[in-house]
Amino acid sequence: MSVKIAGELQSGNVIIVDNVPVIVLKAQYNKSGRNAAVVKLRMKNLMTNRISESVVKADDKLEGVMLEKKECTYSYYAPPAHVFVDSEFNQYEIDAESISDLEKYLVPDMTDVCEVTFYEGRPISVVLPKIIVREVEYTEPVVRGDTSGKITKSAILKDSKHELQVTQFVEIGDKIEIDTETGEFRRRCN
Amino acid sequence: MRRWDLFCTVVDNFGDIGTCWRLARQLSDEHRIDVRLWVDQLDSFARLCPAISTVAAVQHVNGIEVRHWSSDFPKVDAADVVIEAFACELPATYVSAMADRSVPPVWINLEYLSAEAWVEDCQGLPSPQARPSLKKYFFFPGFTAKTGGLLRERDLMCRRAAFDTAAQSAFWKSLGIQVMAPDSRSDEVRDGLPSRDELRVSLFCYENPALPDLLECWSNGSAPVRVLVSPGAASKQVSDWLGEPLAPGLLRRRASLTVQALPFLPQAEYDQLLWTCDLNFVRGEDSFVRAQWALRPFVWQIYPQAENAHLVKLEAFLIRYLEGFQDSAVVRRCWQAWNGCGDIQTAWRDFVANRQSIERHNKDWAGQLDRLGDLADNLVKFVSAS
Repeated sequence: MSVKIAGELQSGNVIIVDNVPVIVLKAQYNKSGRNAAVVKLRMKNLMTNRISESVVKADDKLEGVMLEKKECTYSYYAPPAHVFVDSEFNQYEIDAESISDLEKYLVPDMTDVCEVTFYEGRPISVVLPKIIVREVEYTEPVVRGDTSGKITKSAILKDSKHELQVTQFVEIGDKIEIDTETGEFRRRCN
Repeated sequence: MRRWDLFCTVVDNFGDIGTCWRLARQLSDEHRIDVRLWVDQLDSFARLCPAISTVAAVQHVNGIEVRHWSSDFPKVDAADVVIEAFACELPATYVSAMADRSVPPVWINLEYLSAEAWVEDCQGLPSPQARPSLKKYFFFPGFTAKTGGLLRERDLMCRRAAFDTAAQSAFWKSLGIQVMAPDSRSDEVRDGLPSRDELRVSLFCYENPALPDLLECWSNGSAPVRVLVSPGAASKQVSDWLGEPLAPGLLRRRASLTVQALPFLPQAEYDQLLWTCDLNFVRGEDSFVRAQWALRPFVWQIYPQAENAHLVKLEAFLIRYLEGFQDSAVVRRCWQAWNGCGDIQTAWRDFVANRQSIERHNKDWAGQLDRLGDLADNLVKFVSAS
């Protein structure tokens, strides 16, 4: 067990609430009055999978849980779970709802090394590398002489069909770097 | 749910205890609830409510049991409902008493007022506690139907309507406010009411870098302005600008500007001041809410926060308050300038020129707020449903 300050909570953290482990799915920090702050938490009960929402003061102390972590790669989707594999070919299933924010980056047999978190031997969350590379399946070509002033355009990623904003010079087939923490395009690779 | 404990720590100024005292009285007067109000600084409380003794550990005022919240917290039974105002920290012994009850109390953290959208998402949510038997909920005041609303006594608007010319005259006299003859150039005090051709402005603010420029503007303007200055930061800054002391009863004049210092007004009289003045400068939370019920044009100085977080909150309020108002740009410029973003002199001239349309808008705005129900009523309903 460890102490977690509410204002430092992030998605993927596991805390004890009412004697039950819950995983933080989303932590939203908001400044309140007189330099105080509150944090809205969206959490999943690891025993029942029930989703709930709470709010805490940013300086509240919560009971955290020390968790085991392993490097794995993503393998495939077997509804309702995603399957990850470690270096010894052990397979771990993680409920898709728990990692719904990441699904847009999951591609079968992708080579990115992910960090899977376990609670009492059970896989509960995944963290992707901060930077991943994906191929652009479709984007509008640059219009020569376009003076509209737009500096970004939409692009659709291969396999996941995820859409994001890229710079004007990105073309179909380009490989691009994406920041998984912000979800933003970083740069073209080739 | 007949016994409520309300905890208040006075962090600075009077907003905390001002809000708590209003809430305590409403719960007692309008909902027949037995309220015990715990306050750590009775000195501040006594200025808002002169009936309060600054030394009594236990006293009863207006049907409310007032307890001095000292570091040596007594052993008491926990109430049915416990409210910690503005995220104050309850004594550990009291939290133990809450956990010891056969039926745990409804525990509420009454939060700060904000117009930001995230408040709606957090309103009424539970908050995990170290003791699983206890459940705490966050309750947010606000400006929309998805929040707790604002404090407003049931009879407030009737009292305001009944405050007629005769009552206003009596009010001015009770404050010892005098008026100088228009042609007088001395500081000699003359008997009578403020003349009707002057603009009467109440001033309550934190230390404000824009104030000297505004005083200059009033002084150099063609129309007479009488500014009624609350004690504290406003009074000190005005005194510095005048270069001479300012105290209740003293009158100072600089060209078109007449400065009159006020004593510290209890809440009921402060309301009357807001109703009577042509225009009000308010600050923080409590006077800001009362200015909205006063219907007069007002300018708000928001409590300054680190990293300019207050400017986001100011803008959030302006968006809600000014929606659909044709002279919104005038109000926005003046409020922003008063909060450090812009030239107050130009902004003031436009604001005061439009004060009649602003007053009409404020009546519509107060009507919108009124339809949300008042905070005390909404809180009682929330507790019953919990």
